[in-house]
Amino acid sequence: MTEQIELKRATDPKIVKMIVFAIGVQEYCIPILSVREIRGFEKTTTLPFAPPYVCGAINLRGIILTVIDLAIYLNVPPQPDNPRRVAVIVESKDGVVCGLLVDRVIDMADIDLKDVQAVSEEGSCLAGLVLVDDRMIGILRLDTVVAQLVGDTVSE
Amino acid sequence: MDDILQIFFQECDEQLQELERGLSALSDGESEHETVNAVFRAVHSIKGGAASFGLDNLVRFSHVFENSLDGLRSGRFAPTHDVVKTFLKAMDVLSDLVNEARGGAAVDPARVAESHAELAAINSTGGDHDGGASAATTEDVIPVDFSPVPIDFEPVAADFEPIPFDFDFGEETPAPAAAALRVTFHPHDALYERGDDARNILIGLADIARECGGEIQITCDWSALPPLADLVPDKSYLTWHIVLPPEVSEESANTVFDWVSEDCDFSIVRESAEDEVPLEQDGEQAEPAETEAAGAPPPEEERTAEPPAPEPALPPPVEALLPMPVAAALDLHPGSTTTPPPATGAAQAAARKPEQASIRVDLHRIDDLMDLVGELVIAQAAIESLSRRTDAAGQHELVQSISSMQSLTRDIQDAVMAVRAQPVRAVFQRMQRVVREACSMTGKDIVLTLEGEDTEVDRTLVEKLTDPLTHMLRNAVDHGIESTEARIAAGKPAEGHIVLSAEHRSGRILITIKDDGAGINRQRVFDTAVKRGIIPPNAVLSDDEINNLIFMPGFSTAATISNLSGRGVGMDVVKQAIQSLGGRITISSTPGKGTIFGFSLPLTLAILDGMLIAAGGSTMVIPISSVIETMIVKQSDIYALPDGSNVISIRGDCMPLIPLATALKLSDAPSRDSLDASIILVVENESGARAALIVDEIRDQTQVVIKSIESNYRQIFGVSAATILGDGSVSLILDVSALVASAIGHIDSKPSNTRPELAA
Repeated sequence: MTEQIELKRATDPKIVKMIVFAIGVQEYCIPILSVREIRGFEKTTTLPFAPPYVCGAINLRGIILTVIDLAIYLNVPPQPDNPRRVAVIVESKDGVVCGLLVDRVIDMADIDLKDVQAVSEEGSCLAGLVLVDDRMIGILRLDTVVAQLVGDTVSE
Repeated sequence: MDDILQIFFQECDEQLQELERGLSALSDGESEHETVNAVFRAVHSIKGGAASFGLDNLVRFSHVFENSLDGLRSGRFAPTHDVVKTFLKAMDVLSDLVNEARGGAAVDPARVAESHAELAAINSTGGDHDGGASAATTEDVIPVDFSPVPIDFEPVAADFEPIPFDFDFGEETPAPAAAALRVTFHPHDALYERGDDARNILIGLADIARECGGEIQITCDWSALPPLADLVPDKSYLTWHIVLPPEVSEESANTVFDWVSEDCDFSIVRESAEDEVPLEQDGEQAEPAETEAAGAPPPEEERTAEPPAPEPALPPPVEALLPMPVAAALDLHPGSTTTPPPATGAAQAAARKPEQASIRVDLHRIDDLMDLVGELVIAQAAIESLSRRTDAAGQHELVQSISSMQSLTRDIQDAVMAVRAQPVRAVFQRMQRVVREACSMTGKDIVLTLEGEDTEVDRTLVEKLTDPLTHMLRNAVDHGIESTEARIAAGKPAEGHIVLSAEHRSGRILITIKDDGAGINRQRVFDTAVKRGIIPPNAVLSDDEINNLIFMPGFSTAATISNLSGRGVGMDVVKQAIQSLGGRITISSTPGKGTIFGFSLPLTLAILDGMLIAAGGSTMVIPISSVIETMIVKQSDIYALPDGSNVISIRGDCMPLIPLATALKLSDAPSRDSLDASIILVVENESGARAALIVDEIRDQTQVVIKSIESNYRQIFGVSAATILGDGSVSLILDVSALVASAIGHIDSKPSNTRPELAA
């Protein structure tokens, strides 16, 4: 869903509402339409053979989903014991639900997609960078993250 | 419309089951009146429903079927073996036609025609017994056009083209008559209510006309038709005048109406003799009943309201046929007159998938559930009020309340399972057909006996059983049962027997397929396995292990690949399918006597009994069905292997010792000394291979609800699913067979051992 929105709106300059959160000192955002809810970080169940960025599984009202520690995923030094750590529960366009563990949610921002400066790599998890009030914000490509979560071969 | 069509197809399935049951009873020699009636009713209901939806192929075939069954009902012929066989075949065609109407694969017209001819032949034989009008009975069958050309509502197709099928009933030339035959036909409402259609009659007449080499002329008299606003959708307003060629005898025309004589007015007259007078009279007689609505016909109606136009209406069938399906459909859907129903019907049928989205449940089961939910509400209120009390007695009562709530929860769970439960009959009866078809392909004569069809299992299981059972039964027919000659040579009855049975056994369902064939030729299986490189030539295997080789991928002993089996993909697919359902397969085979395959399956896929254990800091669930025993290790029973792994000897049985947390990469391998006095679970996989799992702690035994982990994540080795525990946390359900298989594979890397193949 997000991808489509991004692509569609990229050609047709429009404002997209994004939710902005911080991981370490860096800020990132994702389209607010892909967010299901934000909940406090709770204890997860460790999963065997999981990549290091997967914290584990949680129970969201009967659905079992995995939580990704974005700090590890994005190679940012994490801030342990941060009381504002929350899990942003997102749904990808394939219907895969997962949680993104972020250090804190900052606010929402209207981002004009024509201001987005694309980053080089095609398969990268960053769709681009945008300047909001002199802050550099990375736009996270959710589907890449989820595809990695679901499709990664088990590393033994 | 869509919903109603859906319901119709569900009913068709039920009717087909009913039909199958009835026919099996007939073939077992139970020719009671009630059985015959049940069979007849089933076909009739399908025909009725199909007519309402304009499913022509289905209507035509079921009509013939019904006619033949009527012969049985009226005792014109006895349900002999051959007759029942023909009926069974016709039933298969009918069920395929239903499937076709639902949007499934098209049925080969040749098959329909073949079965059609057989049914007709039966009926005509019956006529001979009757001692006379064999021509009449024969023609009774012909009217229903069974050409595969669908009669739809475009002028061209509705034209009665010569049908491509050849009749071999002999030329029954009726006595030549000089004058044309005039038939007037006015259906009553009842005709449509019965699900019949005036079209069938017209098609029937057209066929007898063509039979005699003539053409018919049909004129529709819609003088009684009221304006649309006044039209009552389920009333019959139309009258037809049909001119048949002179060669057609009154008798044969009469037979067309045999079926509907009470539900319509009709008259058959020779034109020259009586001219049009009686015909008109009959028409007038018929009409008054319906004329109340025909108050003020608009001008256009008046134009057509002239006395039955004697103009040779060509192509008349179009006019004549067009209103009928609309009337039939209006019957169900007053108000939606805009779209011609056959078109929508076909489109919907094409869009439909064969899966059933709904189930039918006995009302009393829902009532039971409702009662339990009522009790739950009361229990919840009781707990709420008790929880406010602070005294010791209140505490005690609270505990009691909670425990009664526990049993209530279990009851509700059982009740819901009962709602989802379905008898395996649906699958089992399909197997009759599988065996029939396999028999006709192999030329063997085999009787399939079903036992315990009423055994109930979860519906998801029922659906998933079809493929494995089909494979197994085809295999049983193709490989299990010997050829007739071989059977006779071995002193067995020529007719092979397969018994398919289902029963409940200790919380699981046990399905057995038992044949009285030659049994598994173990030497041949062994040789083939060696030849195909599945096992080394010097392997020493027990009988059971050899039997299990047939489940290895790529294994096939069949010398030639037949249509049925022999490609070596069947059995391992069966095994996988059964294992994915949480089941296991057992084989027992006696050379010369036969083979018994047993599938043991859980009753439900949603809930399992599990043992809660702790390992590597997390709580996990092991399906209790795979746990053989639990014990505390003695250091002296452990033997270290050179590669660092350990085996343990339990009462003389050696099995690999797996530290669970290490196997799941949750912690490092424990040192050998720390193994002393650790807790182990002896677990077993489907093929009976065992291993000992070291766990930190055994916590509890409980029922857990199975939740998929793959829907939002990937597959994890050693984990089959997850569940949610009482405290809301996620717990993993371990895949014991994968763990055991990997452990065994790990240890058995030495050449002489063949076990890894068996467990793989």
